[in-house]
Amino acid sequence: MAYIEFKNIDKFYGDNHVLKGINLEINKGDFVTLLGPSGCGKSTLLRCLAGLEQISGGQIMLDGEDITNKDPKDRNIGMVFQQYSLFPNMTVEENLSFGLKLQKLDPAEIRRRVTDAIDMVELKGKEKEYPANLSGGQQQRVALARGIVMQPKVLLLDEPLSAIDAKLRKSLQTSIRRIHKDLGLTSVFVTHDQDEAMVMSDVIHLFHDGRIEQSGSPVEVYTKPVTSFAAGFIGNYNILDSRAMELITGKKWKDGQIAIRPETFFLSRNPITTEDYCMQGTIRDSVPRGNVLRYTIDINNVEVYADVLFRSTSMYNIGDRLNIGVSDHNCVRL
Amino acid sequence: MNAEKKKRHVGAKIAIIVIIAYLLLPLVMTLIYSLFQEWIDVMPTGFTLGAYTELFTDPLFWQSVGRTVIISIVPIVLCTVFVLLAMYVVVVYHPEWDRMIQILCTIPYAIQGVILPICVLSLYSSAPEPFGDRMFMLVATYMVVILPYVYQGIRNNLNGVGASRLIEAAQMLGASKFYAFFRVVIPNIMGGVTISVMLAMAIVFGDFVIINTLAGGHFMTAQMYLYDVMKKSGQRTCAVIVILFLVTLIISACAFFLQSRGKDRKDR
Amino acid sequence: MKTQKKTYLIALAPFLLLCILFEIIPVIYTVVRSFFPEGGDIGFTLENYINIFTGKLYQQAIINSLLISVLSSAIGLAVAFIGAKAVHEEKGKLKTVFMSILNMVSNFSGVPLAFAYIIMFGNIGVMTMIGANYGIGFLAEFPLYSVWGLLLIYVYFQIPLSTLLLIPAFDSIRKEWKEAVALLGGSSMTFWRKVGIPVLMPSILGTFSVLFANALAAYASAYALLMNNVSLLPIRLSEQFVGDIIQRPEFGSAIAVVMMVFMVAAIAVQNRMTPKKGGRR
Repeated sequence: MAYIEFKNIDKFYGDNHVLKGINLEINKGDFVTLLGPSGCGKSTLLRCLAGLEQISGGQIMLDGEDITNKDPKDRNIGMVFQQYSLFPNMTVEENLSFGLKLQKLDPAEIRRRVTDAIDMVELKGKEKEYPANLSGGQQQRVALARGIVMQPKVLLLDEPLSAIDAKLRKSLQTSIRRIHKDLGLTSVFVTHDQDEAMVMSDVIHLFHDGRIEQSGSPVEVYTKPVTSFAAGFIGNYNILDSRAMELITGKKWKDGQIAIRPETFFLSRNPITTEDYCMQGTIRDSVPRGNVLRYTIDINNVEVYADVLFRSTSMYNIGDRLNIGVSDHNCVRL
Repeated sequence: MNAEKKKRHVGAKIAIIVIIAYLLLPLVMTLIYSLFQEWIDVMPTGFTLGAYTELFTDPLFWQSVGRTVIISIVPIVLCTVFVLLAMYVVVVYHPEWDRMIQILCTIPYAIQGVILPICVLSLYSSAPEPFGDRMFMLVATYMVVILPYVYQGIRNNLNGVGASRLIEAAQMLGASKFYAFFRVVIPNIMGGVTISVMLAMAIVFGDFVIINTLAGGHFMTAQMYLYDVMKKSGQRTCAVIVILFLVTLIISACAFFLQSRGKDRKDR
Repeated sequence: MKTQKKTYLIALAPFLLLCILFEIIPVIYTVVRSFFPEGGDIGFTLENYINIFTGKLYQQAIINSLLISVLSSAIGLAVAFIGAKAVHEEKGKLKTVFMSILNMVSNFSGVPLAFAYIIMFGNIGVMTMIGANYGIGFLAEFPLYSVWGLLLIYVYFQIPLSTLLLIPAFDSIRKEWKEAVALLGGSSMTFWRKVGIPVLMPSILGTFSVLFANALAAYASAYALLMNNVSLLPIRLSEQFVGDIIQRPEFGSAIAVVMMVFMVAAIAVQNRMTPKKGGRR
C-alpha cells in the first residue's frame, strides 16, 4: 500500500477550481517531484498535504491514517519554504530546537539531534549565528535542517531553490539528494524547473491546470511525453501536426500531433542513410545555448529546431543546405 | 555643466540653511528668553537660571509631568494590546478583514483635533459610570487618536517580518496558531512596534485640545500647567516649554536610537 | 472543533468595542444630534445648518478656517518643495542635520509654539520692542493677534510636516530621467516642468490634503493665542460645549458635522491620488 494517498482531491478558491479531482499515490522512501508552471496547483496540493490549506473535497491518507482534518501541528510533516521562513530572532541552534522543545524532549536528546542536523547540512560553526547574518544558501540549509530535525514522516520542499542563485543551487540540490538517500526520508518536492526535476526525482508528476498531466520516472517523462503540453513543457519538443510531418518526411501520417526532441535530429553535409526519415533543409538561424547550438531549419517550408553539440565539425552557416535525418522512434505520437 | 552643478549645489545648501534658521528661530528665542531677566532690546540682560530652579522645586510641576507620563503610557499600552489581538485574528484566521480594520483605524484622521473629544464629550458627559468618568473618556479618546499610528506600525512590522509565513513554519514544527503568533511573531515585531508607539507617545505628550476639552482644569497635565503658567510669567513659561520640548526630544531620540540599533543588527 | 473555531473572535472584541464606543457611536450621535432642534426636543430640522451658513459669526468662522487652512498649506507646501528638492540634491552631513531638525521641530506646535511667537511678536515681544526702539514699523505693529498672525504660526508647523512628507516622494525621481531630458536638449527647468512636477503631483496633492486637514482641526495654538476671540471653526465648535457662554450641543453638533465634511473631502482627494501614484511606478 502506498505511504501517502491523495483520493479525489478538490480545491476551490471561491469559484476558482484549482485542484480537479487529484488522485496520487506516493511510496515510502521515494523522492517525488510535483512539476508544472506557476498556478498549476502543485504548491496548493503540497500545502494541502501539510495542512496549511483545507481541501474542498476528497481524502488524504498518510501511513494508513486519515489526516484530512488534522491540524498541521499534529501531522508530523516537515516543510521547507521558498523564502526560508527562519525565525529571525533566534539563532540557528534555537531555530532547530524550536519544535523539539515544544515536544518537551530531553535537553540532551535535543542537543544531539540539533548537532546531527547541523552536521548533515554542513553548517558546523554557524550554530550561534542569527539568520540575517547568513547567506541565502546557508539560510536554506538551516531551513532544511529544521525540517529534518523533527524526524518527520514526510519532508515537503516548496520551491526551496528558486530564490537561490544558480551556482549555489547545484550544491544544495546535491545536499538535498544526499540527505534523502542517507535518511530514506519520503520527500515531496515542488518546482517549476524541469531540469531540477530531472536531476532530483525518483518520480515526476507533471501538473497542468489543476490536473496531473503525466506521471513517471524522469526518463519516461522526458522521452515519452503523452500530451502536447507535456512535450512543450519538458523538453523543448518540436510539436508538428500530421500535415507538417507529411511535408518534411514525404510520408502519410495519421491525424494528430507528433513531438520530436531537437537533439534527435541528425545533421550532415553528406547524404544520410542511417535514419528512418532523410530530408533536406536550409539553415535559417543559429543560436548558441550553453554547450549546444540550436539551429532553426526550413524543411519544405516547415520550420523545426535542431540541437547539435557545439563542435567545429558541426558548425554550419545561415543559408547552408543540409541533409537531415530522424528515426521513427524519436517521433512521439501525442 | 560642472559649473551649473556646483551652482545648484550651493543653491540647495542655502535653501536648507535658510529653512533651518527659520525653524530654529522660535526655539532659540524661547531658550534665551528663559535664561534672562529682561529682553527688550537686541541683547537680553541679566542672565539667570532662576526660572529653572523655581520649576525644579515646584511639586505641582513634577506632579503634572507625572500625570502626563501616566496618561500617555496607559492608552498607548492598551491600544497596542488591542490592535495586536485584533491583528492576531486578521493574520491567522481572516486576512480579508484587514480592510475593515484599516478603515476603522483611518477614521480618526477625519475626526482629528477638536472634533473627536467634542463628539465623545457630548455623548458621554451625562452617561453613567464608567463612561461618564472623565478619566475613562480621556484614556479611550487618546486610544482612538493614536490608533492610526499604532495600527500602521504594527501592520508594517507584521508585513516586514512575513508574519503569515512564520506562522506556517511554526505550525509545521508543532506549534499551535496562537503559540505561533504570540511567541514567534510578536517577539520579532516588538522592536519595530516600540518605535512607532514611541512616536505616538510624542503626540499624546504634546496634546492640549483633548485634555482641555475632556478634563478642563481637573486633571493638570504638563500642557495644562504650561497654559496656566503662561498667564503668570513669561520667563517661567519659556522654561517649561524648554523642559517639555527636551522630554519630547528624548522620547523621539530613544525611538530613533532603537531604530538605528535595529538596522545595525540586521546589517551585521 | 466547531466551538473552538469561534473562540478566537474574543481577541477581536476589545478593538471593536473601542472603535464602536469611542469612534463610530460618538460620530453617529453627533451627526444625528445635528438634525435635532435646539433645546433638547425630539424632531428633525435643518435649522442648525441654516444658522451656520447664514449667521455672520459662523460664516466668518468658515471663511477664516478655510482661508487659513488653504493658505498655510499652500505656503507650507511651497517651502517644503524647495526644502525637499534641496535634500534631493544635497547628500551628506547637511542633509542629516536638516532631517533631524525637521523631526525635532515637528514636535514643536500647539501652546508652546503660540507662546514662542508671543515672546517674539506679541505686545511686549522681543521683535516688537526692537521694532519700536529702532523705528521699524513693520515689526512694531506686527498683527500677531489676528488671523494673519495665526497664519504665520500655522505656516510654521506645516513646514516640517510637509517637508517630511515630500522628501520620500523625491526619491522616486530617477537621475536617468534628468539625464534623458538633458540629452534631448532640455534644461533643468524643462525637466521640472515637464517631468519632475507631474511625477510628484500625486504626492503633492496628497500632502496638501494632509496639511489642510491638519490646519483645519488645529485648536491649541489659536486658543493659546486668542482664547475664544477669533472666529475659527474649531474654536466655535468647542465653545458650544465647554466654556463660559451658553452651551448649544445641537448647534455645535452641526458645526462638527460641517468640519467632518471638510476633513472627509480633503482625505477623499488624498485617497484618490494614492492609487495613481502606485500605477506610475
